[in-house]
Amino acid sequence: MLVPLSYNLRSLWVRKSSTLLTVLGLGATVAIVASVLALQRGFLTMFTAGGREDVAVFLRPGATGEGDSMFRRDLGLRLIKTLGEIESDARGPLASMECYLAVLAKKTDGGETNVPLRGVQPETFRLRGDEIRIVAGRSFTPGSDEVIVGRSLVNRLQNTHIDDVIVLNTTPFRVVGVFEHAGAFASEIWGDLERFMPTLGRYGPNRVIAQLRPGTDLAALSARLEDDKEVPAKVVTERAYLESQTLVFGTALLVLARVLGFIMGVGAIFAATNTMLASVSARTSEIGILLALGYRPLPIFLSFQFEAMLLGLLGGLLGCVLALPLNGIETGAMNWQTFTEFAFAFQVTPAVLAEAAGFSLVLGLLGGALPAWRAARLAPTVALRQG
Amino acid sequence: MMRLVWRQIIGHPVRSLLTVGAVLVGVFLLCLLRSVVTALNAGVDAASSVRLMVQSSVSLFVSLPISYQARIAQVEGVQAVAKWQWFGGYYQDPSNFFGQFAVDPVQQFEVYPEIELPAEQKQRFLERRNSCIVGDQLFEQFKDEWQIGGTIPMIGALFPHPDGADTAWEFELAGVYHSSSGALDNRTLFFQWDYFEKTADIEECGVFVLKVAPGADVTRIMAEIDALYENGPQKVRTTTEKEFQRQFVTMLGAVPLFVSWIGGGAALAILLACVNTMLMAARQQVHDVGILKALGFTDAATFRLMLAQSLSLCCLGGASGVLLALATEGYLVGVLGTFFPGYTIEPQTVALGFGAALAMGLVAGLLPAAQSARLNCVQALRGA
Repeated sequence: MLVPLSYNLRSLWVRKSSTLLTVLGLGATVAIVASVLALQRGFLTMFTAGGREDVAVFLRPGATGEGDSMFRRDLGLRLIKTLGEIESDARGPLASMECYLAVLAKKTDGGETNVPLRGVQPETFRLRGDEIRIVAGRSFTPGSDEVIVGRSLVNRLQNTHIDDVIVLNTTPFRVVGVFEHAGAFASEIWGDLERFMPTLGRYGPNRVIAQLRPGTDLAALSARLEDDKEVPAKVVTERAYLESQTLVFGTALLVLARVLGFIMGVGAIFAATNTMLASVSARTSEIGILLALGYRPLPIFLSFQFEAMLLGLLGGLLGCVLALPLNGIETGAMNWQTFTEFAFAFQVTPAVLAEAAGFSLVLGLLGGALPAWRAARLAPTVALRQG
Repeated sequence: MMRLVWRQIIGHPVRSLLTVGAVLVGVFLLCLLRSVVTALNAGVDAASSVRLMVQSSVSLFVSLPISYQARIAQVEGVQAVAKWQWFGGYYQDPSNFFGQFAVDPVQQFEVYPEIELPAEQKQRFLERRNSCIVGDQLFEQFKDEWQIGGTIPMIGALFPHPDGADTAWEFELAGVYHSSSGALDNRTLFFQWDYFEKTADIEECGVFVLKVAPGADVTRIMAEIDALYENGPQKVRTTTEKEFQRQFVTMLGAVPLFVSWIGGGAALAILLACVNTMLMAARQQVHDVGILKALGFTDAATFRLMLAQSLSLCCLGGASGVLLALATEGYLVGVLGTFFPGYTIEPQTVALGFGAALAMGLVAGLLPAAQSARLNCVQALRGA
């Protein structure tokens, strides 16, 4: 026979102040873990959003990212012209050379950061279709010293409004438009490859991107090009490329969440155990009555364990409620691999909430184990006499 | 009086231990997080006032022609100019992250007098073209694999070896240095510029580090160097070492603030737990307080008794937390050194830990202490 659950609910209600303090403490712990998880989720999903499976990224073999990749211009062109796997339309292959450089930029708050500068060819826009949308002004005119800026940069960096001038080394570039993209491009500045290369003293593109024909065996293509005598290249899908760029920072955030969860969790378990112990000792006589009524030790153990889990659940709910307002708040962080700042938003997803609530339940469960065991082991006569 | 406090604490061993444990965890986390934040600023705080950095004004990833070196050296007040180039390679696996720079060996020691190493090791580094020196923290990490006089194979991710991307650059380990200032960490590998230039066939370098004469007008020197290349080919930006280091910290953006928030949240959660525990302790002691009052203890004395209990528990927890932070310092330097090479528990961090524990003890003790002081002797005895 189980102890009625209403007994536990009443008991939590009777000890309101103690219940409240415990739930608040658990809630703070859960909220912090949830917010780090939401940060990690936001970073991962927004950085890799828009990464396409049918677009291949060609890099120099051994390069860890486009920053340290480089092709000679003629070799990049040859790659585009000769590869049968590249999709083409009436106007030619759907492939583009891109140069990339993280440049220093002043933030609106006065600090300094690294922002990615990408020189693209007209083919880039054909290949991207409406993934890149101009939301203000117009796109840059090929061959001119004009740039367009990603929407996330506009309020974060100085000189990013239309008609502002961005000086690169000694050449001024005029901002003529703002573009939107679901992923990492929204934190970049784009201009004409042919203008960026001489300005930055580059002799070739950092990478080549191309849309592949349906059914292309990427692994075979990659293996073939890796050992190619003329244009050795490493090939990955765009999605895989973006994912590889999130590994370090994404993992660091996850580790941070786990370490914080562990350390703060230990503290929270101590606190929950204390609360439940006091609650058990204050109810010694009640437990004696329950035992005298014929309740077995196991139901009593379960009853107190349930009460502790209830505390954990309440703490988890409170933590989720505290973390929820973070959802959608934009923030920026340095992606350690690209060494550039990337703007993204906290994403308090159902998965994050579920993990936080589950974590809190476990805290309650572990915190309640010792007190529940104590309660279950009480001898009825002793318990009744003590009360 | 203190004996009574101890009796109460020892009388409920589980409760006391759990409270001490909770405070321990909170204070430890506080110390850990603060040390991470101070580690980020270590380079800025320890920057030398006689060192200047010349970098491209466009990007950290744009190099400057090495011909600039001789021209900058002629600027009045400049005593030495050292080339620095980020090598961006890795040892065995890309996850073995540490900095590697090609530097002018002679100028390097002039510009960084804080680099200390035995004279014969220094001599060997200066003499042998393909040699390198590494910081003692880094050496400690790989001490089973590296030895002085041996070879360190490095894969050049950024500068592939001319024999192929899979071929490792081989550096002879000439010595192990220790830097006595936070401006330079102890986890870096420096190797000879000439070897780099000849092998990679590069005539550019990332940064020039200058040492200026004591008392020289730093502002004038910075302006003069910037003016040299105002019209190209590569515009430069000359900054003090402090500014140079600070740019890396500001690039982290809101991270330090975020970490501080987490520390605050942790402290708050633990504080709530302590308040709760002390309230419960007070409730369980109602009968005892009644007896004390019957024996003639004043309200003030019972107030102090409760407060002393709370303070003792929290101080005990705080001290253990600080001790744990100090005890794990060496271990954490090994684990976190990759990202936070300057990780160290500062005296201020120790003070913060104790301060937080003391504050928790005070806040947690006040309410229950006031409750006990207000208790009426007869009611207390009857109520229990």
